[in-house]
Amino acid sequence: MAEQRKYSEEELIYHLQKRDTAAFSYLYDNYSSALFGIINKMLTDQQLAEDVLQEAFLKIWNNFTSYDSSKGRLFTWMLNIARNLTIDTIRSKGYKKQTKIQSSENAVDNVSQNPDAAESFDALGVRKHLTLLKNDQKQILDLAYFGGFTQDEISKELKIPLGTVKTRMRTAIMHLRKVLRDAS
Amino acid sequence: MNKEEIISSGLLELYVLGIASAEEQAIVEQALVQYPEAADELSQIELSLEDYAIANSEAPPASLKSKIMAGLVDSSTNETTALTASSPADLPETEVAVPETKVYRIPTYFKLAAAAMLILLLGSIILNYSYYNRYQETNRDLAAAERKVSTMDSANLAMNSELDLITDKNATPVVLNGTPHSPDALAKIFWLRTTGDVYVDPSNLPAVPAGKQYQLWAIVDGKPVDAGMISTQQGTYRIQKMKSFGKAEAFAITLEKEGGSETPTMEEMFVMSKI
Repeated sequence: MAEQRKYSEEELIYHLQKRDTAAFSYLYDNYSSALFGIINKMLTDQQLAEDVLQEAFLKIWNNFTSYDSSKGRLFTWMLNIARNLTIDTIRSKGYKKQTKIQSSENAVDNVSQNPDAAESFDALGVRKHLTLLKNDQKQILDLAYFGGFTQDEISKELKIPLGTVKTRMRTAIMHLRKVLRDAS
Repeated sequence: MNKEEIISSGLLELYVLGIASAEEQAIVEQALVQYPEAADELSQIELSLEDYAIANSEAPPASLKSKIMAGLVDSSTNETTALTASSPADLPETEVAVPETKVYRIPTYFKLAAAAMLILLLGSIILNYSYYNRYQETNRDLAAAERKVSTMDSANLAMNSELDLITDKNATPVVLNGTPHSPDALAKIFWLRTTGDVYVDPSNLPAVPAGKQYQLWAIVDGKPVDAGMISTQQGTYRIQKMKSFGKAEAFAITLEKEGGSETPTMEEMFVMSKI
């Protein structure tokens, strides 16, 4: 990693638009673990998760011209490509929507058992702080983020009105931001 | 919606999570252009969710990267995928292949399937060949059998008609005895009184020399009248129909030149009868 060039987000976007494989290699090294973490959380099948990760990176490479920086950050765009492909996979396989998310209140704790994850980030410190998230806040966030639930499905799952989904999601993410701010 | 309303609505959060409706997306995208504060807020939300993703990281298997990098080269054959001048020169990822060295791998199970199909095809060809031969042989046997049956049928038919004639109650058998010229010769006439039809059975006549033929004569009012030539079927004599006579005193058979004569050659008379 030491000899690898650092890219700013703007540089990275510029080189990826030029279809520079070195920039793509950098992108992979820095973001594949985060993407894989999400995919692997959403799917139960590790092999399938690897396939979806590969598909996601190929889609990022091939559809890079469709990335519009005025609509969001690059990493968020990539995360959403990975999440959408995973959701497509879940729906195409007739996958039963997992009880995995709802039942595992300690999903973050599970992940922290993997010491190799997220080398470039003080993940452990953040994880410790994430345990400070209230269960119901974590639950609504994880249903959307790792469960691939739509607003409608969240509303039905948690038996709350559609409008409440928005405000409760905002509260949950505000909390997340505060927790993360405290961690750094 | 003003900027405060947008920011506090929760729509930015749903937008980042990718679960905003199309209508909500349009509202957010409009606000992002209109209010820098909304764009800032969006970035903060994005960053926090990105950090949340990073906190949940899991390293994929190391082998996956080279697989994905190889896939890039394949899917962009027409692009310049070699490292550009602006790229860091000391990157470890030099496995970027040039298009010429591209290797298309055929999965093992395809090879196995192809081999299995080839074997099946060969087996099928051999079976086809052997069945075709057997079919041909059977066809030949069948044709031979059919020929035999038809020969026997016609022989049977001829014998039946001969038998019919012999057993016909209206048939008057006339025996033609050998003359002094050929004492051992014998012929029979079956003369149907009802129709006048004359049949001759020449089976006991001596063999005919080449270029000669027996001719039957009827003696009518003391004069010999031609009653037809006696023909052979494949060298053997069968009972055959001759010319019809309402009345005749006698019959005789002489040996004549092929095609017959106007008048009988008396020296060559073999058999003769009296009614």
